[in-house]
Amino acid sequence: MDYTKQIQEIASKLFAEGKIDVFVGYRLTGFDENQVPVLIRDQKDVSQLVFNDRSVFNLVNYLKYEHTRNKRVGLVVKGCDSRSLNLLLTESQVKRDKLYVVGIACEGVVDEQGNKMQNCMECVFPDAIVADEMLGTPHEVRKYKVNADIDELASKGLVDRRVYFEEVFENCIRCNACRHSCPLCYCAKCCIDQETATLYNGANTTSGAFHALMTWSLHLAGRCVDCRNCEKACPSHLPLHLLHKWNERVIYENFQEHLAGVHEGDRGAFYKYSMQDPDDFIM
Amino acid sequence: MNVEIFVTDKAGLQKFYEAIIARNETWAPVEKFGKFDFKRVSSLGECDPDSPIATTRSAKPLFFPRSAKIMKYTADSTGTRVKETDEDPFTAKRVILGMKHCDARSLQVLDKVYNWDYIDNDYQKRRQNTVVISTRCDKAETHCFCTSLDYDVENLDAMDVLIVNGTEGKVHITARTEKGDAFLKENLDPASCILHPVSDEELKKQYQAFAASFRLKMNYKEINEKLSKIFDSPEFEDVSANCISCNTCAFVCPTCHCFKISDERVKDTGVRYKSYDSCNNGYFTLMAGGHNPRPVKYRRWRQRALHKFVYYKERFGENLCVGCGKCAVSCPVNISIFEVVNQVASNEVV
Amino acid sequence: MEAVANNQLVSIEKPEIVAPPNWEPVIIGILCNWCSYAGSDLTGTSRIQYPPNIRIIRVPCSSRVDPWFLIKSLQTTADGVLVSGCHPGDCHYISGNYYARRRFLVTKKLLNFVGFHEDRIQFSWVSAAEGPKFAKVVAKVTEDIKKLGPLHLYKKENFEK
Repeated sequence: MDYTKQIQEIASKLFAEGKIDVFVGYRLTGFDENQVPVLIRDQKDVSQLVFNDRSVFNLVNYLKYEHTRNKRVGLVVKGCDSRSLNLLLTESQVKRDKLYVVGIACEGVVDEQGNKMQNCMECVFPDAIVADEMLGTPHEVRKYKVNADIDELASKGLVDRRVYFEEVFENCIRCNACRHSCPLCYCAKCCIDQETATLYNGANTTSGAFHALMTWSLHLAGRCVDCRNCEKACPSHLPLHLLHKWNERVIYENFQEHLAGVHEGDRGAFYKYSMQDPDDFIM
Repeated sequence: MNVEIFVTDKAGLQKFYEAIIARNETWAPVEKFGKFDFKRVSSLGECDPDSPIATTRSAKPLFFPRSAKIMKYTADSTGTRVKETDEDPFTAKRVILGMKHCDARSLQVLDKVYNWDYIDNDYQKRRQNTVVISTRCDKAETHCFCTSLDYDVENLDAMDVLIVNGTEGKVHITARTEKGDAFLKENLDPASCILHPVSDEELKKQYQAFAASFRLKMNYKEINEKLSKIFDSPEFEDVSANCISCNTCAFVCPTCHCFKISDERVKDTGVRYKSYDSCNNGYFTLMAGGHNPRPVKYRRWRQRALHKFVYYKERFGENLCVGCGKCAVSCPVNISIFEVVNQVASNEVV
Repeated sequence: MEAVANNQLVSIEKPEIVAPPNWEPVIIGILCNWCSYAGSDLTGTSRIQYPPNIRIIRVPCSSRVDPWFLIKSLQTTADGVLVSGCHPGDCHYISGNYYARRRFLVTKKLLNFVGFHEDRIQFSWVSAAEGPKFAKVVAKVTEDIKKLGPLHLYKKENFEK
């Protein structure tokens, strides 16, 4: 999977036609194979752009910063990224007519060690859903698979799970990198950042981390698209995907196979309801 | 101070570590979720003091805890009462194993700010009660640039005891401070070592090999000088464009020392905490009236870069950066402060 | 295990925590204004007895209950939480409890996943006419949580019971 040339051509064409102000893509770090997101503002810098299986970061995240706000933006999206973009469009955070989206029929990306990312192996929608232009050959429809880590953990006993997660919350340093790197966390002031916290818990303690991560994962329940930006950003390498994948599974199994952002105009699972929703856990 | 170099082998070093762990409260790098971090250890099997991979987070939390209680209070109809907390987990006597040079150096840098207009007693206590044992790296990592900064890595006296791997499996143990000297007398079994004055040569050779392995080199004097003149450089806008303001760099940085105050209150009683904060955070400078002097990314990045290489240098005579590269390793979008300052400095405004 | 042998009550999540003698659980009851709160009122005016372990908070609608109400309760005083609202179709705001139902399920499952016993968080539909049912619900929840023992997970640090 290498679309470097095509993306460079598209970007330079868009700049030449005056269709965009900024192009968000990837460039090489310059010393290893890994890549850095780059915001190109001039046609002469287009040659920096690359795209291959190390283009991991979800670029939709950049739509919330001042460099792209109220500007015409060109953007490269993979399957998972396009789902988050779809949600942003539905939630009226970005305007479709200001975007030029280059969609990728993604064959999966690799982590820093060169192994295929776990979420790519379980990916249901590898092809970009929102796109003005598609690159690559589209994939066949795939079936939703339950995450293996989740299965393993869920089959353990209550005390074992408690012990496992206590370690997770103890190692959280509350830097909030997970939230900042999440494309769907766009609130101007996050509720878990309240310092004068009689309501929320501002301190950098284990109980604070628990509160923050639980609140955060519940705000993303039914919206998370499993791009794993949060996990890549976490300096403690916490398995944050466990919380999201668990929620995703509960929602998929109980709420009419809901998956976040796969249809146009489809909002998160908590923004709608159905008469068929399970009721047996309520007395 | 007379420098004695003890020479032993791998097995002797293991014995030395075991003796330390048995006798003292010891903190050492422990692997957790695939990364190393300083943790309290009770046996050598749990930790890896000689790990070639640096800890993801620095040893800063052991001196400046990520969340420290400052006081407890009760506020009810009878009035407000404040009680100082006396419980501090980090003021007991302890030993830190496996700290890298850069981490050890960061303590010297932090000492300046903690001994400045306000003397932080807790920090002083933690420093005095800690023996730092450092192993010199054999090879630089991708983002390391400690040799390019304003301290002498070879003759650094930030650590109390220095361990250097020599040739043929030999290990050299040296005390670098008087505290370290006393510590070695107490904990190092002289039977397992030989005093070897010749090994000084070997130390030099090891250092030269180490210094030659660096990918990144810069001239910090030039950077200091150039950055001090380019407050208005438009280049900051470019270098900060792909930053996502995630704060990771400041939380893992060994020298960043900004904090926020937060209250945790249940009913009438509360605790006031001092927790880490980061200048990359959008509301770090947000004031009560709603004004935010650094509302956009490039201003925050400018603050971060200039604080590291200009403001701290002007005030204390040292760079606030120790070249450990932890920020670049942890950055989710692979931004390196080395690249940023070099790029900004190379586009000097005339 | 030793504690169990002595017939002492231990926390189900943390077996090392033993309940003090004559321990009584604290349960936070979050009730919707239009049905469940009126229902609890009817229980009282009908002189039906129910366990005094429940502390009631009134909210406008069950969909007002943000998951962190539950999390915060469990992090401070509570050993368990009961959320109660109108029966499906009876919501004063037409569809509030349908939204709430989805959120409750996910919250309950997630808290269970990270190590809380699922009976710590319970839900019920109680209408304004169901005074006896409310008493039964509270009795059942109290009984359930008494079996689970005291909750000691991620409690706030200044929390003293």
